[in-house]
Amino acid sequence: MTDSSLAPAAVAQKNAIEVRNLNFFYGKFQGLRDVTMDIAERKVTAFIGPSGCGKSTLLRTLNRMYSLYPGQRAEGEINFYGQNILDSKQDLNLLRARIGMVFQKPTPFPMTIYDNIAFGVKLYENLSKSDMDDRVEWALSKAALWNEVKDKLGQNGMSLSGGQQQRLCIARSVAVKPSVLLLDEPTSALDPISTGKVEELVHELKQDYTIAIVTHNMQQAARCSDFTAYMYLGELIEFGETEQIFFKPKRTETEDYITGRFG
Amino acid sequence: MSEKHISSQFDLELNTASARLMEMGGLVESQLRLAIYALGQFHQEAADEVLEIETRVNSLEIEIDREISSIIGRRQPTARDLRLLIAVSKATANLERAGDEASRIARMVKSITAHGAPRSLPASELRVAGDLATALLRKALDAFARLDVQAAVAIIKEDSAIDEEFNGFLRKLITYMMEDPRTISQSLDLLFIAKAIERIGDHAKNLGEQIIYITRGTDVRHVPLEAVESAAR
Repeated sequence: MTDSSLAPAAVAQKNAIEVRNLNFFYGKFQGLRDVTMDIAERKVTAFIGPSGCGKSTLLRTLNRMYSLYPGQRAEGEINFYGQNILDSKQDLNLLRARIGMVFQKPTPFPMTIYDNIAFGVKLYENLSKSDMDDRVEWALSKAALWNEVKDKLGQNGMSLSGGQQQRLCIARSVAVKPSVLLLDEPTSALDPISTGKVEELVHELKQDYTIAIVTHNMQQAARCSDFTAYMYLGELIEFGETEQIFFKPKRTETEDYITGRFG
Repeated sequence: MSEKHISSQFDLELNTASARLMEMGGLVESQLRLAIYALGQFHQEAADEVLEIETRVNSLEIEIDREISSIIGRRQPTARDLRLLIAVSKATANLERAGDEASRIARMVKSITAHGAPRSLPASELRVAGDLATALLRKALDAFARLDVQAAVAIIKEDSAIDEEFNGFLRKLITYMMEDPRTISQSLDLLFIAKAIERIGDHAKNLGEQIIYITRGTDVRHVPLEAVESAAR
């Protein structure tokens, strides 16, 4: 039972993803319980909650990242622009090109900065050298990294600082022109300045992309998201506009968590 | 909702801010009581004391606001905690102004006594209204300490009784002034006092509104009484 359950419906709003009665199992353990929610198009939706509450699990179902692991299964529906991605006929590579993901720790490939971006693009598109150059510049600019790396595109991506590596990963996701970006604690390994840059980036990227972000940092959710979902023990407890959740949550459980009374 | 934060230091800071507000409220209350006493007895020393307390009230206002800024800066409070801090900050401003009104009364009393006490004027009625306002402010502080929503609604309603007292008193003063124009100057002094008392009632009412804001998260300033009651439910 969730308060203000579908949330974005409050304002006329197109949804990129509609999750319906989603249950998720790690073998016998149930990680998500009957989650129903809408993820609004070109908005930032944040997931907060204590460790083990299911927020990362939920994010990983959204592009079926879990399918990499045996014994993990999802029941219910996840409709991505009307198409149920839990359908066994779903092409997973195509899905992940449309719903990109960035992880907690920066994961650049051990190759040049240029190739880090070009690698994914080559899987889906056959671009000429000059078109690929343009795409790399475009993606790095989108990730607010271009000015810092334009003179060293041939350097190894691992040589960048942590914050730059994370923006490189975001650029890599953006390069294949997805419509949704999933960010799983994207700044937890970064210093405050890099964190600020990534948050600024999230703000700019939402002009073109739908973003879902999992964060342990509640202030980060408050700063960058339009909608916030509070999860606990695999359930979606409350979902609503971020301002409402942080100023006047409806459920006591939410209030206890965001005010630091959770014990 | 559980009352304690994971950080007991945070609890301590919030409790300290609330306790300081109550301390400030206590000072303003005694300012008011002295001011009303000075008014009833045309008592110079009591009036002087009101003015002395004012400096302590002023410095407490600054101190509490500094504590609140510090908590907001270091803790980034949310939800009810955030509303509490915003409300306490507004409440300090209200209390400080209520204290200013008490000082205004004290200064008027001094000026009236300097010109010889006008026993013929209806000063005693002002004392009744003054007692009402003082009692209302005390109730508001009690309700704030307990975050008692129902008491807050009662206070907001009661403020209109003081407003009516003020209007009645105003009509009476006008009669006095028409009957004997020599009383005009002193009647005006009394009018200013009556206005000060009426304002004190308003400040008590504002505290009541803040209580509803903290507990219910609804801003009930400048809304009709029915909306206040429904927010408090």
